[in-house]
Amino acid sequence: MSSRRHRLVSLRARLGRLLFRTRLDRDLDDEFAFHLAMKEAEHRRHGADARQASREARRQFGNVASLKEQSRAMWTFPSLESFMQDIRYALRTLRRSPGFTIVAVLALALGIGANSAIFSLVDAVLLRGVPYQHGDRLVVLIGNVQRTAVERRGNSFPDHADWRAQASSFDDMAAYTTLTLTLETGGDPQPITAEAVSAPYFALLSVAPAAGRAFRPEEDEVADRDAVVMLSDQLWRRQFGADPAIVGRDLQLGSRRYSVVGVMPAGFTGVTDSADVWVPFAMSGTPLANRGNRGFFTLARLKTGVSIGQAQTEMTAIARRLEAVYAATNEKRGVEVTTLSQLVYGNLGGSVLALMAAVVFVLLIACANVANLLISRAESRHTEMAVRTALGAGRARLLRQLITESCVLAVIGAVAGLALAKLALLTLVSSSPISLPTFSQPELNLTVVLFTIGATGFCGLVLGLVPAFRVRASRVADALRSSRGSTGGASRSARGALVVAEVALTVVLLIGAGLMIRTVRNLSAVEPGFDASGILTLNVTVPRLPQPPAMPAPVPAAPGALATPPGPPPFVTTAADLIDRVKSVPGVTDVSLVTDVPLSGGGSAIFYGAEGDTTTGAQTAPRAYVHSITPEFFQTLRVPFRAGRTFELPEISGASTAVIVSEPLVTRFWPNQNPIGKRIKPGGPTSTAPWMTIVGVVPQLKYRGLPNNPTADPDIFRPLVDRGGYGMIVRTGGDPAAIEAPVRSAIRQAAVGLVVSGVTPLRRLVESQTAQPRFTSWVLGVFAAAALTLAVIGIYGVMSYLVSQRRREFGIRLALGASTRTIVALVLKHGVKMVMIGVAIGAAAAAALVRLIATMLFDVQMTDPAPFIAVGILAVVAIIACAIPAVRAARTNPATISGTE
Amino acid sequence: MGEVTKTPDGEFLPGTLDMLVLKALSRGEMHGYGIAQFIQRASDEVLRVEEGALYPALHRLEVRGWLKSAWGVSDNNRRAKYYRLSALGRREFERETEFWNRVASAVTRVLRAV
Repeated sequence: MSSRRHRLVSLRARLGRLLFRTRLDRDLDDEFAFHLAMKEAEHRRHGADARQASREARRQFGNVASLKEQSRAMWTFPSLESFMQDIRYALRTLRRSPGFTIVAVLALALGIGANSAIFSLVDAVLLRGVPYQHGDRLVVLIGNVQRTAVERRGNSFPDHADWRAQASSFDDMAAYTTLTLTLETGGDPQPITAEAVSAPYFALLSVAPAAGRAFRPEEDEVADRDAVVMLSDQLWRRQFGADPAIVGRDLQLGSRRYSVVGVMPAGFTGVTDSADVWVPFAMSGTPLANRGNRGFFTLARLKTGVSIGQAQTEMTAIARRLEAVYAATNEKRGVEVTTLSQLVYGNLGGSVLALMAAVVFVLLIACANVANLLISRAESRHTEMAVRTALGAGRARLLRQLITESCVLAVIGAVAGLALAKLALLTLVSSSPISLPTFSQPELNLTVVLFTIGATGFCGLVLGLVPAFRVRASRVADALRSSRGSTGGASRSARGALVVAEVALTVVLLIGAGLMIRTVRNLSAVEPGFDASGILTLNVTVPRLPQPPAMPAPVPAAPGALATPPGPPPFVTTAADLIDRVKSVPGVTDVSLVTDVPLSGGGSAIFYGAEGDTTTGAQTAPRAYVHSITPEFFQTLRVPFRAGRTFELPEISGASTAVIVSEPLVTRFWPNQNPIGKRIKPGGPTSTAPWMTIVGVVPQLKYRGLPNNPTADPDIFRPLVDRGGYGMIVRTGGDPAAIEAPVRSAIRQAAVGLVVSGVTPLRRLVESQTAQPRFTSWVLGVFAAAALTLAVIGIYGVMSYLVSQRRREFGIRLALGASTRTIVALVLKHGVKMVMIGVAIGAAAAAALVRLIATMLFDVQMTDPAPFIAVGILAVVAIIACAIPAVRAARTNPATISGTE
Repeated sequence: MGEVTKTPDGEFLPGTLDMLVLKALSRGEMHGYGIAQFIQRASDEVLRVEEGALYPALHRLEVRGWLKSAWGVSDNNRRAKYYRLSALGRREFERETEFWNRVASAVTRVLRAV
């Protein structure tokens, strides 16, 4: 006893020296040592030998450690002192049971790490918002039209100007749109993206040029006059070697020379997150005086204190006023006021929140598992706790000790978790099919670390309180009397509650993941109407030949000095030549050109009238998307004709009136009739445009979006004639990526100055349409699997424990003639009851929570079997986890039981 | 806890240990062992002070400012911590002695009453 105590003292002293050995400690040691020496001397005077004297002296002195603890508590800041001591003690206890510590830390690290990783997504998408000063007041005004539904259309410049003049809710407004320009650099021309913006744009975003100046209001006044450009920091570095004298220099963008007036700061890519350069809005080609030509958006900043609702009310009133004045162009035209973040992040927020909820569940399940381990430990440490109580440790002190221990666990878990989160983020960002804006990359910043600290504190507290309740409930005397430790009903029901909670949480996750996985399966089962495999898509920009007579003087023309020639010169190459050259590439089977590649976001709509139609009027004029194609288009995409044929040679001209339409158009106006030869014309019923004759009918393609086109409008296909740019679709028998290089070089050989951009397999365009649900379901699936694993481990642990507690009872029952089946049934009944309660609670919670992901689901019925299958799997696995300990219990040999008592 | 001075067969009145320590030190400075010896001898071995109670009491009184301490060398040439009364401690000792005498005589009167 004495040597053990001595060891304890010296261990404590050694640890003390390690952490903070104080003068006080030394003084206390010395004082007690002196006393002991005097005592020993006294005993020896009374005739004891040296060993006896020393032992007697120590026995009388009592617990040196506890005495010192008391004295130290008097001398120092008791709370800090004992806190440090608790931590030292906790570290020591955890080191003594490495198995427990590793399992607990691992579970917490996974839980906390996954939470930190997903929270950094929440932070990037929902909390940080757009990275501009007053970003929360930035809104976008989008013109819309009231048809059967309200449809976004964009704005016209005269409308924009009137809004800017009349609205009082905003600090200012700026028009913006994007263009693709060709940067001529002497080598290969490069396609670059320009934001065409009106002058207030930069001030609204509170971003000033790093060099030079921003655009001036007068540069918005006349179309195509002021060829000035501002560069992004990235383009400035990449293309001009960060030339400090760049401002004032010229650069060739397409056919115009632009004068560089400024360079924007690093990281700024405009609100579309795509700009390489900025040009004045008047350079965008948007007609500044046509009120009916709508296409761009307007950025605006709410005045301080003005709500988005107030702004919406004012803009609707202005739209009604404009409608009264300009009935022809503005009938049923409204304005939608939406926040810039809503436009940038769209419905990403919903997905991210659903993932956050899921990952919190995973953490709760991990906590439940660790709590369960802690309860077991608390029971096996009953005797230790009782001894410490007897040695004078207060109950509050013991509670604090337990909470400190679990906090130490949680902190170790959190540190490991943050490292894990860092890894997870790298994978998440690099492998994610959804692309976040460059200014919203998730990162482990201060907010995320604070969140992690909060989550860690929560875990530590919850985990500490669970066994703490056990300590409270236990009676010291009981514990000392029975070394086995008491396992009252309180513990059993606490464990039961943990199992129920784990099962319930897992059920919610499984149902959520099941629904999402079903959604993804439904989405990938959607046929776009064309065969996307083996197709490579790209865009070609075709410049015109130089002006034949006017070899322009070496001095660059002053802005506005361009004279309009009688007719534009021809393009450097023709559509037919491009097709021929690409078709000769080995491996290529079909080639076609089109104005806009399917699912690439291009395309424009027109109103049309159908011959003989009396059901529609000016307000309800039917609308269709128009694409110009070469005759091989449908063959290349493997689209069958429902009726008629593709274009034939004499029809391929600008004056052609032949047209191919998609099926819904003909079934709407000529149901059960032969559509070939029927006629439609662009514009409304009163339009003077010539009639166009239908020569072919194809099925409705998912041309503009999956799983459905954004609107139900049909498609109209017209013959393609030579123009300044094409989309190209190339079919190969093999991997489309393999023909990219030869196709590029074939196009390059066609003419000088051709620009190839946007090279993408069509399959990837199809997949990108479903990227977000696939990402969500993938992450949700991982979480659900993690939850299932944790829950099964937890259930198994609890059941094994409960069985081990009742071994004596089972032994007696077996000895009294109970069959093994009775024992198995007894245990199983208990386990199945807990699992079923958990499933019921989880299912009810899932039914309530399914609203959270309702907008992300596609074509999933509430009677869908997927979630039921998932829950069935859980139930089966959980019952197996119960059955293994049950069978073991039944194999108990009654003889061995009495021996252990 | 620890404020109990034990007799061989049981507990004594709480708070008395402080008073006995103050009494011991009122005669001059002493180390802990000496204080325990003094109380034991002066009470004719009736009161035996447990170290587990004595040292917390000494340190408590020192924190309270009733005692002062200094390291010195004992009769047998060992480093020992010596305690003595502060002015505050002396006043406190007088007050406690006076209180104790009053209570003790009152209790005695009660026990003697017929």
